[in-house]
Amino acid sequence: MKTKWYFFFLTTVAVSAIIYAFLGFKGDGPAEIGVLMIGENRHEKFTGLEKGLKDLGYSGKEIHFTVKNADDDEKLLDKQIDDLLKSEPDLIVTLGGIESLRLKEKLDKEKIKIPVVFAGIAAPKELGLIKDYKSPGGIFTGINNYHASISGKRLEMLTSLVPKIEKVHVIYDSKIDVSNLSLKETRIAAQALGVEISPCDASSKECLETLWKTVKDEEAILILPSFRIESLTDDIVRLTEEKKIPAMGLYDFEAEKGLLASYGSSFHSQGYQAARFVSLILQGNKPGELPVELPDGIRFVINQQTKDALGVKYNDDLLKLAELIHPEVQGGRSQ
Amino acid sequence: MKAMTDFMQSQTIRNKVLVFGVAMSTIPLLLISLFYYSFVKADLETRIIEKQHLVLENLSREIEFEFSQTFQRIQVLASLNLLDKKQSALYELLQQSESVEEVVIADDKGFVEQRVSRYDLNIAGSMERWFTDDMWFQLQTRDKVYGQVDFNQYGQPVMKLAIPFYGNGTKKAIGVVVQLQKIIGKISSMRQDHSSYIYLVDDNDRVIAHQDYSKIWHKQPSGGHDEIGVTAKIEDLNWILVMEQPKTTAFAPINRILQSGIGAVALLILTVSLISVWAGLYFTRPIVSIDREMNNLKQGRKISPVKMRRTDELGKLADSFNDMSKELLEKSRLLEQEKERLNVVVNGIGAGLALVTKEYRITWMNPILKGWLKEDRLTLPCYTLIGGENTPCLNCPITCPDLDKIADEVMKFKDGPNGERIFRHRVFPLNHAIEEEGEFLVVLEDITEQKQMEETMIQTDKLSALGIMASSFAHEVNNPLATINVYAEDLIDRIQAGDEDLDEDEMEHYLRKIKENTERCKKITGNLLNFSRKNDWTQEHIHIREIIESSISLVEHQLKKQRIQLELQVPDSLPMVTGDGLKLMQVIVNLINNAVDAMESEGRLLVSASADDEGQVSIKVTDSGHGIPAEAMDKLFDPFFTTKPIGKGTGLGLSVCYGIIQQFGGTITIDSKPEEGTTVEIQLPAELQAGIEGEDQ
Repeated sequence: MKTKWYFFFLTTVAVSAIIYAFLGFKGDGPAEIGVLMIGENRHEKFTGLEKGLKDLGYSGKEIHFTVKNADDDEKLLDKQIDDLLKSEPDLIVTLGGIESLRLKEKLDKEKIKIPVVFAGIAAPKELGLIKDYKSPGGIFTGINNYHASISGKRLEMLTSLVPKIEKVHVIYDSKIDVSNLSLKETRIAAQALGVEISPCDASSKECLETLWKTVKDEEAILILPSFRIESLTDDIVRLTEEKKIPAMGLYDFEAEKGLLASYGSSFHSQGYQAARFVSLILQGNKPGELPVELPDGIRFVINQQTKDALGVKYNDDLLKLAELIHPEVQGGRSQ
Repeated sequence: MKAMTDFMQSQTIRNKVLVFGVAMSTIPLLLISLFYYSFVKADLETRIIEKQHLVLENLSREIEFEFSQTFQRIQVLASLNLLDKKQSALYELLQQSESVEEVVIADDKGFVEQRVSRYDLNIAGSMERWFTDDMWFQLQTRDKVYGQVDFNQYGQPVMKLAIPFYGNGTKKAIGVVVQLQKIIGKISSMRQDHSSYIYLVDDNDRVIAHQDYSKIWHKQPSGGHDEIGVTAKIEDLNWILVMEQPKTTAFAPINRILQSGIGAVALLILTVSLISVWAGLYFTRPIVSIDREMNNLKQGRKISPVKMRRTDELGKLADSFNDMSKELLEKSRLLEQEKERLNVVVNGIGAGLALVTKEYRITWMNPILKGWLKEDRLTLPCYTLIGGENTPCLNCPITCPDLDKIADEVMKFKDGPNGERIFRHRVFPLNHAIEEEGEFLVVLEDITEQKQMEETMIQTDKLSALGIMASSFAHEVNNPLATINVYAEDLIDRIQAGDEDLDEDEMEHYLRKIKENTERCKKITGNLLNFSRKNDWTQEHIHIREIIESSISLVEHQLKKQRIQLELQVPDSLPMVTGDGLKLMQVIVNLINNAVDAMESEGRLLVSASADDEGQVSIKVTDSGHGIPAEAMDKLFDPFFTTKPIGKGTGLGLSVCYGIIQQFGGTITIDSKPEEGTTVEIQLPAELQAGIEGEDQ
């Protein structure tokens, strides 16, 4: 009888130990990361994100991306956000301001708490995504690409690069909050620098048409952040080439396409930098405790061809800071 | 420990085999596992520390390189005296150093003269002081100054660096704002295996970079014992890089191995236990069966043979057990039979039996003895309980171990309830006695009836002899009586006749003759009375010659009557014998009567006595009669056996003689040849005294 009890006890212990041993081999699955992008032109951020995570030591086995590309369609973006939330990812990376704002609306509405990393948006605090740069609170954190605050600096850079500029046309998007904020910053800087500016609302079709008609020599164009304006880049390039007008964009791809210069953080570097936030959150940090970062680097890019084509006098000191690119020689960006 | 040992000892062999199997299979495995676990753990810790050193070394070099490169670039600018001329040098610096956010040049008062900023406008404020007081103070004496880690308006960690330089004859300073977020971000977000983390501590012991952002800007945590960690100091900055890993995760791989090892060990124990139990059952089943049957055997229950289909040692053991138990049962049965017989004998022998220890304590007695004693006082010594004495018997073998021969010769008397009874008391030492349970067996026989029978036989024999001798006695008495009568009548006649010659002398002669013959009659009747007296055994010193002479006087007339020539060869100086003289006389009379009967008439009878050197006195009665037939020799001493004609013998004579000589402690032997005669020899133990003198015919 004793032997039977011994075997009952021993079998129970043995089976428990074997189950315990098997449980020890159970590995964690890959982290599910959702990626939201409004259009293809922000794909570079995703590339940067992938590269950044790889450099931080993550492999494909540990991370799985679900990428939602809305092809510049805001309605599609909303639907894709719904789809993404249904899949309950561990973390969502938004590649721009519009994606972040729409996602926030949805999360607030459905009271979902999924950490969100924005891979470069201008003025996240002003847009209400975070409470404070140092302690964002909530579920959002990421990179402030500084494109709103840097608007004044970009006006200074443009006017310093081409000293003869007397008036600057500022293209903004009145339907985009960041764009409005950027215009506000630009106005303040213009006042400080004593430069005349002329805002042009890209949300209306008349903006570019007006510029085609009114822009003159010794005038320049400054582009403010907006995904809608980003999609108008080719039109603006044609305008500046035709009118031989110096223009300052935000992203390096704008200079590559033909604008004189761009000053801002590149999509790739923003995505690359966002990888740090993804890593920190996957390692257990709360997004609300991760300070929002400025871009690691701001690129000042000048298109050598455009520079030569304009035939104006440039500030040689500032050229020292610039990164000259030769799109045709280098292959350029496809139109 | 003793309790443990006792517990182990009390376990069954099956359990012991089980414990042995499990212990022998698991203990070596556990010891080896423990050894490798310790070894691998130590090795893993070393490797982790080496890896941490490597990581920290690279990181600290990177940080040192970043700062030293920035300083070098500033110093180059200052040394080439380019700073006062154009802003191009400042732009160039921004272009070269991506982490530099802003460059300023301050005059000898510390006010900003020029500014080139990456994010802000390059407009210097009026009387703007860029350097902190502490930095400005240090700039007066040092060639390079580090500011404190601080935050800009966007909450980004930044740090100011500065060097002094001389421009236009005055001492100025160039300062840069360096963004730290890239360094901090890299340190914080760098993916580490197994929960490793790196943090950076500034010169104020504040954590300025940590994977866990909740720990940033707090004081450096004190290192615990639960982590494996190394540190690397960054010179100049006095920053310390720390890399740690909780031991729980560091040792997770080997813990996982251990975890799986536990499963394997458990499985092994289960398997080994099953095998051990099987082996235990296989090896111990025969022993258990034998043990069970042995218990049955011990408790007297029916047993069945242990059946086993094996021919190994255990099989042979089972066979041996079967044979042994069968033999044991047979012997037990025989023993029971023996015991039954013994009980019957002990209870039916008619003798009292008792076991007595060396201390005279009776430990057991049979019912017969208990019945005789009518009391069950076993605590009393045997000599008190049986003999009624206060001291041990003198010739008891318990008291005198050397007196073995006397052990069965001792006679004791005890007052029974029906008057005096006679017991024969013999003591036998037991060679295989159980100690304290009685080393001596006391046998008590009630020989009262036997003694009475013997007495009756002796008396009957005596009366028979008297009957035979009655006519002889009458003749013996008649002769003196006739003489007396003659002398008395003659005297009366002479007195009546008034014989003058009858004087006093002659009368005295007549009376003396009468007296002499009267004395003779008195002697004859006295001998007769003496012989016929019934008496108990009396112990006295006997003169053999006197006894022989008295015996012959009883049969003298018969000898004369049958004209038998008597020859007597008895020396005077024979040693004396101890015993009952009358009984010895009865023996001699019996023997002479037998001789007379054998010779019938005209024969020769020789009665002789002698003593030898061995202390024996020999009495021989030899006749020249017809002898005894050979077939009667074996029955001569049997009671009521006789070869004499009916009416002439009782058949008790020799039997009585044998009993009496036995009581003397002597022997009686008969040598007879048909038609030639018979010699009967009696040997008696003599008393110690002077040697034998010359013989008297």
